[in-house]
Amino acid sequence: MFRDACRLRIGSAIPLGCALAALWAIPARADGDLELFTPANFELNGDVRLVAVDGEKSWVERGFGKLRSGSDGELRVQPELGNASLVWKPQFTWSVGGVFVGSVQGGQRTDAGLSQAYLTYRPMRSSNFAFSARAGLMWPPVSLEHEGADWHVKDSITPSAINSWIGEEVRPVAAEGSISTRIADHKLRATVAIFAANDTAGTLLTFRGWALHDRTTLAFRSQPLPPLGPLTGHQAPFTHPLIDLHSGFAHRPGYYAKLVWVPPAPVRLELFHYDNRANPQTVTPAPEWGWRTRFDDAGLVADLGSGAELKAQALQGRTRMGFVIDGRRFVDDRFRSGFVMLTRPFGKVGLAVRAEAFDTRNLGSIWTDEYDGHGWSAMLAAKRQWGPVTALAELLHVWSDTPVREDAGEPDRQRQTQLQAEVRMHW
Amino acid sequence: MVRNILIALALAGAASPLAAVSLSVRVVDASGKPVKDAVVTLHPAGSAARPAHAGGRFVISQQNMQFHPFLTIVPVGSDVSFPNYDNTKHHVYSFSPAKKFELKLFAKDQSRTVHFEKAGVVALGCNIHDQMSAFIVVTDSAWTARTNAQGMVTFADAPNGPGHLSVWHPYLRSPGGELTQAVAPAQHSASFEVRLRPPPSAMSMTDY
Repeated sequence: MFRDACRLRIGSAIPLGCALAALWAIPARADGDLELFTPANFELNGDVRLVAVDGEKSWVERGFGKLRSGSDGELRVQPELGNASLVWKPQFTWSVGGVFVGSVQGGQRTDAGLSQAYLTYRPMRSSNFAFSARAGLMWPPVSLEHEGADWHVKDSITPSAINSWIGEEVRPVAAEGSISTRIADHKLRATVAIFAANDTAGTLLTFRGWALHDRTTLAFRSQPLPPLGPLTGHQAPFTHPLIDLHSGFAHRPGYYAKLVWVPPAPVRLELFHYDNRANPQTVTPAPEWGWRTRFDDAGLVADLGSGAELKAQALQGRTRMGFVIDGRRFVDDRFRSGFVMLTRPFGKVGLAVRAEAFDTRNLGSIWTDEYDGHGWSAMLAAKRQWGPVTALAELLHVWSDTPVREDAGEPDRQRQTQLQAEVRMHW
Repeated sequence: MVRNILIALALAGAASPLAAVSLSVRVVDASGKPVKDAVVTLHPAGSAARPAHAGGRFVISQQNMQFHPFLTIVPVGSDVSFPNYDNTKHHVYSFSPAKKFELKLFAKDQSRTVHFEKAGVVALGCNIHDQMSAFIVVTDSAWTARTNAQGMVTFADAPNGPGHLSVWHPYLRSPGGELTQAVAPAQHSASFEVRLRPPPSAMSMTDY
């Protein structure tokens, strides 16, 4: 059944279909570990926030603004529903479970749908090795900032540019396996996965550039694109990041791999590689194109003592789309970003400060270097928890420069400051 | 008369090792700094050996993705319960020869109990959260204690007789993490110089 479902044209229904088909394929075991609908199988999370923002129109409204909310240049203050998620975590046997997350996202555009749907397999480890596996619609293990089944941002409201992009364009239907071991006092973990349904990753990053927000793409949903300049009419004014464009599901599967090393020191190092292996010449009637996207990510987490933690992440990649003209594809975008974040508790209040930089460089035949962009941002956040309720405040400033804004009659250099106060609930 | 004298001498000889003395043990590292939370056990020879009071109930909880406490000393025959106070499930296990067990997934506010009937060190872990680690020292000796911040343990009622002392620490560089030395009758103090390796990183590798 699982295989039959996966043969179906992806369209928009395959991610959920594969996960549910795989669920059916699990052999039933009446060993007393089956837990489907107990209170422990459910989580309800959500947040409301008060947002004060200045600067340009948000990308959510087809602008070039880097943030989740935008303005017309004046300071705009308004309450918003942030994100709300219902998580179902059924346990089929003690080693086989599932994670299914339905989400609603508010703000200047409301979306509702499926966020993640995958099965987990975690058998009992041996004395030397631990194996685990996942299969379904899920985020690959890239972000150092997100946690939980609802994939909320841990120490702030807004994630970095890197992990904002992961949230919006990098979420395949994958089959993933991990193995962990310990060699002397060193811990190692290797993860590999093959995936499909992520063929358009890179569209939003290229046309809009990097952004900083906690909106994620939901299954079957699209993201708006800003004005497309010379590619207007050749690319739909939207993108579906979670689709498979090729004939036959997983006809050209992509892959990712990750290596984690924890030496005998309070440090964790991560390396991650992703390649969606999409055909950049495949195009749908919409039209939406295949984007051949590859990137490498390196992460560092260091425990500095007294609860302080340093996190750093750097990502560099390339995405290509379209046919070759004069030796260059329509789009050939090199992108990179990096951030450093320091978190530390002061009494019951946790503080986080983050600085980052980002850029895109275009060498395409149509999307040329005049569409390059670069920028930086700085963030300060505070967090206090009372049981299931967490209060957060965040000040975020972003500066960016991209000539593509001039096509829309806007200055190429923009500054934007956003102050948010959020109440986050978890049950 | 002679017979009475022989009996008296025999009783004196037998009673002598049983007379209590105070035995202080100090554990230091290679630089002379005191080592805290090392487990020191006195094993008197022969009839002076006395098992720890058998049984008892102990608690090792799981909270904030860690075991609490990190080190627990229990007598042989004890029951240890493992209540989970985290919002996530845990899967507690041990591969140690002294007690192999696993407690498959149990959720917040649930608890499982394990009976420890054999002396030895039991290393605990969680099958889901690799950063979780703790140790149980199951002892069959009445003279077992952990060193304080000064690296000291004092047995006020140690038998005045021969035996041997052992010291164990989770990060001690020695086979089994243990060192031993002999104890002579009327000995009032002993010391161990140990080499410790750095504690393994508490960093998690778990992605989901």
